[in-house]
Amino acid sequence: MLFGVRKLFGILFFASCVLALGPRIAAQAPDQPGTPQPPASAVAAQQLPIVPTPPAAPAVPIIILDPAHGGTDSGAHGENGAAEKDFTLRMAREVKAELERQGFRVILTRNDDSDPSYDDRAAMANASRDAIFVSLHMASTGTAGSVRTYYDQLSAPAIAAAQAADTAAKIAPVTPGGLVTWNDAQRPYLNASKRLAALLQILLIQKFPGSPDGAAPAAVRGLSSVAGPAVAIELSSVSAPDPGSLADSAAAPIAETIARALNALRTASANGVKQP
Amino acid sequence: MTRNWKIAIALLIVAVIIGVISLRGIHRRMRRIAETQSSEEEARHEVLAPPVTTPTDVTAKAKIFWANGSGGVAPVEIELALSGDPVQRSRQLLHALTANPPTPDQRTIPEDTEVLGFYILPDGTAIADFSDGLSTETPSGILSEEMVVNSIVDTLASNVAGLRRLKILIHGQEVDTLAGNVDLTGFFDMHPGQTGSSGAASVPQAPGAQLDATAKPANQNPAPATR
Repeated sequence: MLFGVRKLFGILFFASCVLALGPRIAAQAPDQPGTPQPPASAVAAQQLPIVPTPPAAPAVPIIILDPAHGGTDSGAHGENGAAEKDFTLRMAREVKAELERQGFRVILTRNDDSDPSYDDRAAMANASRDAIFVSLHMASTGTAGSVRTYYDQLSAPAIAAAQAADTAAKIAPVTPGGLVTWNDAQRPYLNASKRLAALLQILLIQKFPGSPDGAAPAAVRGLSSVAGPAVAIELSSVSAPDPGSLADSAAAPIAETIARALNALRTASANGVKQP
Repeated sequence: MTRNWKIAIALLIVAVIIGVISLRGIHRRMRRIAETQSSEEEARHEVLAPPVTTPTDVTAKAKIFWANGSGGVAPVEIELALSGDPVQRSRQLLHALTANPPTPDQRTIPEDTEVLGFYILPDGTAIADFSDGLSTETPSGILSEEMVVNSIVDTLASNVAGLRRLKILIHGQEVDTLAGNVDLTGFFDMHPGQTGSSGAASVPQAPGAQLDATAKPANQNPAPATR
């Protein structure tokens, strides 16, 4: 009985996430402050009779898959020299192959033992207007086989008194011209990231027992400069007895979850569901 | 049994007795050395990070956030001598958080970590300067690094009034990340009710809008425990 109620709530939450996030994935560009209004002639043109056309299917989003760490940055360490950077790369390659089989376009931020900077990784996502950034991690702690999804926990804003001072211009995340500073690129997309993370975590719970019920915010360094929906998925852990096989077995379910979430969002978007 | 055999057995018995006595002596000496080393370590710790005491100290109940065993932190109520001065009070709380976890499994801050400095700016910005141990001894990973930050932020936010946000420094320097994942270049929000793992997530509904509060994790903590 209790399980049934929880399952019902889960389905309702999943549906609300799909309905809420769908339009965001389809229309990636946020409403920036300072966005110019259309001229009067354009408004008049919109009032002319128009031949109805079927709604265009939303574009397939590009997935920027980020195997965390690399090079001299090994990330978490396990027994016998097990390094997070190796497992995230193995996992990312398999997730990429699976997503490509399902028709998604996937770009890896690294495909060898290199260590692109956080900015370089974010730049790969920011180069495309319809990219979704997924960073793959492997923790050093946590229940083996559990998975957590994170979205960006923004840095605390400047304090009102400080804003009144001459430091205001330096700390304002949005410039007067409507541009967003590089380090605050994630701010306008936080809602979309949060909903994507929530949807992913709901789906991941079903495949990874012992995972927490919901996505969590975290000040993940790699997410703050991404101008688009961005999440981090962390598998536990490199300290497991056989982290290699754990990473290998997790790749397919993670790929399937990402595909399912994005397909659900595209479907919701194609049906013209508006965000409440 | 010949006389030679009797002498050999007697010598053997004497050798065994001498060996046992020597071994006990060696064991005692090793224990003494270990005790000395331990007390030297304690003395070193006392010199580098002595318990903070001030004339305004009053014994009060404090909520210290330690690991809850499921990836988050949970408050444990303990009796602590707390200063009326917010800076000293914060140092006392961080000392308790580091030095006295109820069990080893509840430890969030690495054992060797010391608070090198703590400052509070007039606008409510707190700056905590930790020794290298916080960065080098914390296991890399979002989960483990978040637990460290949440235990610090939640402990200070719950027990020190007037703090608005926290900046964490390592050995006097701003560092990129704590142990490879969690961003330390920014500030952590300490508004009551929105701190760490005990606050509700807060995000704007309209993209492009400036946020007025840091998004915080959903409550994953059990009810407060009391020690």
